[in-house]
Amino acid sequence: MNLTQPNCPPSSGKEWSVEELKSRLDKREKLFVFDVRNAEEFAAGKLEGVEKLPTLNLPYFDILERGGKDDVAACVAAVMQNADAPVLPKRESILTVCAKGGTSALVAEGLRKAGFDAVNLRGGMKAWGDFYEFKAVAEERAFGIYQVSRPARGCLSYVIASEGEAVVLDPLRHAANYIEFGRRQNFRIKFVLDTHGHADHISGGRALADACDALYLLHPYDAIHPVDVLPARVSYEPLRNGQEFSFGRAMLKAIHIPGHTLGEVVFLLNEKYLFAGDSIFIESIARPDLGGHGETWSPLYFQSLQKLLRLANETLVLPGHFSRAAEANARGVFAATLGDLKRNNEGLRIAQKTEGEFVKYILASLPVFPPQYVDIKRVNAGLLAVDEEKASELELGKNVCALAHAAQA
Amino acid sequence: MSEMKFDRTLDARGLSCPMPIVKARQEINSLAAGQVLQVLSTDRGSVKDFQGWAQAAKNIQLLRQATENRDGKEVFLHYVQKKA
Repeated sequence: MNLTQPNCPPSSGKEWSVEELKSRLDKREKLFVFDVRNAEEFAAGKLEGVEKLPTLNLPYFDILERGGKDDVAACVAAVMQNADAPVLPKRESILTVCAKGGTSALVAEGLRKAGFDAVNLRGGMKAWGDFYEFKAVAEERAFGIYQVSRPARGCLSYVIASEGEAVVLDPLRHAANYIEFGRRQNFRIKFVLDTHGHADHISGGRALADACDALYLLHPYDAIHPVDVLPARVSYEPLRNGQEFSFGRAMLKAIHIPGHTLGEVVFLLNEKYLFAGDSIFIESIARPDLGGHGETWSPLYFQSLQKLLRLANETLVLPGHFSRAAEANARGVFAATLGDLKRNNEGLRIAQKTEGEFVKYILASLPVFPPQYVDIKRVNAGLLAVDEEKASELELGKNVCALAHAAQA
Repeated sequence: MSEMKFDRTLDARGLSCPMPIVKARQEINSLAAGQVLQVLSTDRGSVKDFQGWAQAAKNIQLLRQATENRDGKEVFLHYVQKKA
């Protein structure tokens, strides 16, 4: 069931909304992407489907120089006449994208003049980055679990509702989306929990708790910025290992698992569902070096994972991130049983070996450290204030909270 | 930082992509070789776009970029010189 609010204006044939794009990507429709942003922004965050999309990056200022005119659409039409014109498919839909959708609309217009089937992504990569999708994971008699994702970023958050009361786990930056969902589903948000101090995205936790008069909880270890070693300026209630949250007929229990961060906490719902935050993902496990202490935190992480490995194999693991859209199950939900993950997830397989082997594996599988992650942690700790534009820039592209491995290469 | 000398200003504040570069190209065309154009923009994306444009265009050089706070709003300044 797709619960995404269909309140977007219907898109014309010349433009697709991000909702329309998502539904076409889910259906694996054939699509060629023509991205006219500068090379750096393009490299930081590409449009991806379930499978890799054929994509060409030609920045709009290159088009202007090559076309030599003052009008972008006219330049595109001129460039496509040149001998060195970029090779674009004649019979497929070409989706033009840029940062905010303005320039790419002109590019699409130029391509149509040149005889191509081109359509613009309305709102560009900004709109795509800000797009949220709500999916039901389970709707049992006692409670409903909803997975809330930002597909462009690979970020997952959760709403658990029971008898008119709800908990929101790891709300992403746009808190209004959760408030609106609660209003439509008719529940009151009682607790807002962050599994840890996030490095890859700006948390919506404090803002959401303020807006719904809910309690905001975070483990106190993650209220200290690991690089600056400064205390957070955001107010929070301290989250403890073993702490229980009851709402409606549901019971959520906190398990402290230091590793990815010192204050990482995961939650077990009715002994059946594990909200794993940044620990176990579907194809990988979280990296322990984003706080800048990979070598000392890796052994701690190994011990923490042992706690999770002792849970029942039937436990459904609901991760805090995905790396590839293809990790989703047939219903588009990112979830797998612990038993399956013990067999198929490389990091978790090695976590079942010795600590020495695990630490060696971890330290050999660390992807590059995105420099903006230090600032994102500052924003989340209330040590740095940013405007909307800067926030979007910090959050551009896919998260890299997981270990690198063959499947992602 | 020393004051940057320039011959003309293009006020592109409030304009969104692609207009700052479209208009800067027009201004550059009417400048003499060696003259410098100052561009004011409120579009954060203009910073990397001007860098990319300077590489793509053969007749210009990006001398300097700066950020200033004017009336509580971030303004991005680009100094573009027309080459000989």
